Amino acid sequence: MATLLAFVALVAIVLINVPIGVSLGIVACGAIFLTQGTNALVSVPISLYSGATNFPLIAIPLFILAGAIMNASGISQRLVALAVALVGFVRGALAMVSVGTSLFFAEISGSAVADVAALGSILIPAMRRRGYPKAFAAAVISSSATLAIIIPPSIPMILYAVMSGSSVVQIFVAGIIPGLLGALGFALLSYVFARRYDLPVESRFEFGEVLRTLKEAAWALCLPIIILGTIFGGIVTATEGAAIAVVAALFIGVVVYREFNLANLREALIEGGIQTAVVMLLVAASSLIGIWLTEMRAPQAFAEGIMSLTSNKWAVLALLNLVFLVLGLFLHSAAAVIMIVPIVMPLVHSVGIDPVHLGIVLAINIGIGQQTPPVASVLMATCAIAKANVWEVSRVNVWFVGVLAAILLLCTYVPAVPMFLVNSFYR
Amino acid sequence: MTSIKRGLELLLEWIVIALMVILAITVTAGIAFRAAGAALHWYDEVASILLAWLTYYGAALAALKRAHIGVGEIMHKIPTIPRAFLYAIGECLIIGFFVVVIWMSMRLYGALEGVMLVSLPWMPERFVQSVVPIGAALFILAELLSIPEGWRALAKPAAPHIDELAPDSV
Repeated sequence: MATLLAFVALVAIVLINVPIGVSLGIVACGAIFLTQGTNALVSVPISLYSGATNFPLIAIPLFILAGAIMNASGISQRLVALAVALVGFVRGALAMVSVGTSLFFAEISGSAVADVAALGSILIPAMRRRGYPKAFAAAVISSSATLAIIIPPSIPMILYAVMSGSSVVQIFVAGIIPGLLGALGFALLSYVFARRYDLPVESRFEFGEVLRTLKEAAWALCLPIIILGTIFGGIVTATEGAAIAVVAALFIGVVVYREFNLANLREALIEGGIQTAVVMLLVAASSLIGIWLTEMRAPQAFAEGIMSLTSNKWAVLALLNLVFLVLGLFLHSAAAVIMIVPIVMPLVHSVGIDPVHLGIVLAINIGIGQQTPPVASVLMATCAIAKANVWEVSRVNVWFVGVLAAILLLCTYVPAVPMFLVNSFYR
Repeated sequence: MTSIKRGLELLLEWIVIALMVILAITVTAGIAFRAAGAALHWYDEVASILLAWLTYYGAALAALKRAHIGVGEIMHKIPTIPRAFLYAIGECLIIGFFVVVIWMSMRLYGALEGVMLVSLPWMPERFVQSVVPIGAALFILAELLSIPEGWRALAKPAAPHIDELAPDSV
């Protein structure tokens, strides 16, 4: 009963636009005060401090910073030029370029909004000039950016790994095949739209042009190899890989391309710091309410309640998908991960779901949530850049969301798809 | 009022910049020294502390810029008077929460007297954990100074410019 009241209070406070991190703290304080008295509130500053000192989460500010440095380093233009040289001869090539460059950015930044900011401002105007419908241009940019949270490194995956006690590296590896399938699906769908809208080709394929643009973009192309190679090779942890990403992005921006200045760096540091703090306040506050929920045995009660209905792993996965999708409609991704993972983990362990498998299922659900109003951070960001109506874009975007949904079903019910590489190299 | 807000914003921005730079240098140094066979025994504890400091100073800056993740869709749609009433309740709850955090921190810090960090035994735990009450006080100040901006943001329809989006980093 106390848990239910706390949940109702949380929803009410969140709906009056109190920041979700603070809402969690308010409800936790109220619940501790009412059930354990004033003296128990002394655990509040302890939990808020210890919740913010989680070493693996240091990867979050560092990956955000690496992405911001990269965005400010002229890397985007070079990658777009290379992608145009490679696929410019295909009908609707700029849509393919959007998917390809998003895939690349996904391997460095881990943030879908960062991808939209980096690529949308270049590619949406370019597509509009070539006669692409505004809604289609926005939809392809928005959906492709979601690859950032499926392809490693991914900030929601880091959060999930920490909250669930799973291996960050294994979850990263499990995201590779679903991410590539997503990119392939988006490219094929873009081609279908290109035929329907009779979109133009950009240029003939010229090997010399490919070599020239490849030379220009070569340093940028090294970045994911350095970052993911060192992490997957076991040379560094994900956190340390993030620090290497910062150093490599700075080196390429400052020394190689020489398009990075201190004003850009200052803005990137402030933006990265704020984004980190917003996520970390959620994490710290969730540790506060998490302790209270554990004392009330809420996760266990949730697990027992579901298990009394079914203990079938596949049915539970279907139910979890439904819960994640509904949460994704109304919550930002970090908040969704932080609020739901501690509650569902006892159930996940009880029915024998592999936490790494669930991590990918959750990441794809979050990706869908980022594209579906009312709370659709990536779609909103894209519409702001494209100056497009959210609902008009959504009418086209629904097809891209359909691709994500198909991959979600595939990854949920054919675990070999995400788990093949993990089982081959890490188990 | 505007100059106090701008001053606080500049102060917090430079603290956040310094913490981000020191954090990146600390982790990079940790990798470099370990690769050189001389691992820094303090690096993971110090990096974790820097993350906590970044969390609370950055959270105050985010409050000043009204950049925390919230759900404003319902508030956008309700009439002005009930919206103002609910907005006032929300602000009181936020400030009340951080007042409790400061109050409890004061009670806790007596117990931390003489406690030092494990890896840096000369560093008092009280100094390290002071970030929670200081961050809470800064959050309250930031919230009070940005009440007009928060109200204006709620009055606007939900079609934000890219620069105004909550930084949903994921």
